[in-house]
Amino acid sequence: MTSASFEEKSTWVQLVGMVLGLGAYFVVAGRMLASGVRAMPAFAAVFMVAVAAMVVFLIIAYALVSLMGKQEPPDERDRLIVWRSEYNSGWVVAAGVLGAVTCMVLNVENVWTANLLLLSLALSEVLGCVLRIAHYRRGV
Amino acid sequence: MAIEKIVMRNTIRTLRFNAGEMTQQDLADRVGVSRQTINAIEASKYFPSLEVAFRIARVFGKPIEDVFECECRKK
Repeated sequence: MTSASFEEKSTWVQLVGMVLGLGAYFVVAGRMLASGVRAMPAFAAVFMVAVAAMVVFLIIAYALVSLMGKQEPPDERDRLIVWRSEYNSGWVVAAGVLGAVTCMVLNVENVWTANLLLLSLALSEVLGCVLRIAHYRRGV
Repeated sequence: MAIEKIVMRNTIRTLRFNAGEMTQQDLADRVGVSRQTINAIEASKYFPSLEVAFRIARVFGKPIEDVFECECRKK
C-alpha cells in the first residue's frame, strides 16, 4: 500500500468504513426484522448510530492516510477511474429502486422497502469502491 | 478493413534513463500527474490523454511519436 496513490488509499478507507459501518447496521437490522420489529424509528436510530460511527472512523482514517503520505489532488487517471466505476456500479441502485417500487405495488411493509433502498445504495457504493481498487491495481 | 485491436507502447522508461535517471516522481511533478499515473503509463496499464502525452513528450524534448507508438492490428 505504500506505493498506492492518495486517491487509492482514500478508496480503501472508504471501502473499509462502509463495510464496517453499514455492514453493522444491516446485521442489526436483519436481527430486528427477524425478531419482528417493524417500527421505523427503531431502524432510524440504529442507522444514525451506524452512520455516526462510520463518519468518525472515516475522519480518523483519512487523517492518518494524509499524515502517512503526500496528499495529491486527483489527476485525469483518478477521474477516469471514478467515472468508470460509478458507471458500472449505478445499476445496483437502479435495481434497488425497481425492487422498492415492486414492494410498494405489492403493499410490502415500509420497513422492508426502506431497508431494500438502503441496501442497494450501500451495495452500489461498495461495488464502486471495489471497481476503483481493481482499476488502480489492474489498469484502466 | 476494420481495425481489430490497438496496442500502445511507450519509451518513457528509456527516455527517463537517458535523461540522467530522472525519477518517476520528477517526471510526474513536471507533467502535473501523480507518480502512480506515470508508473501506470509506463506499464501500459493506462493510456494518457493527448494533453498529458504531449506534456510528457515536451519534458523530454521529443516529438510525441518518439514517446508513444501505436500498433494497429487489422483483421
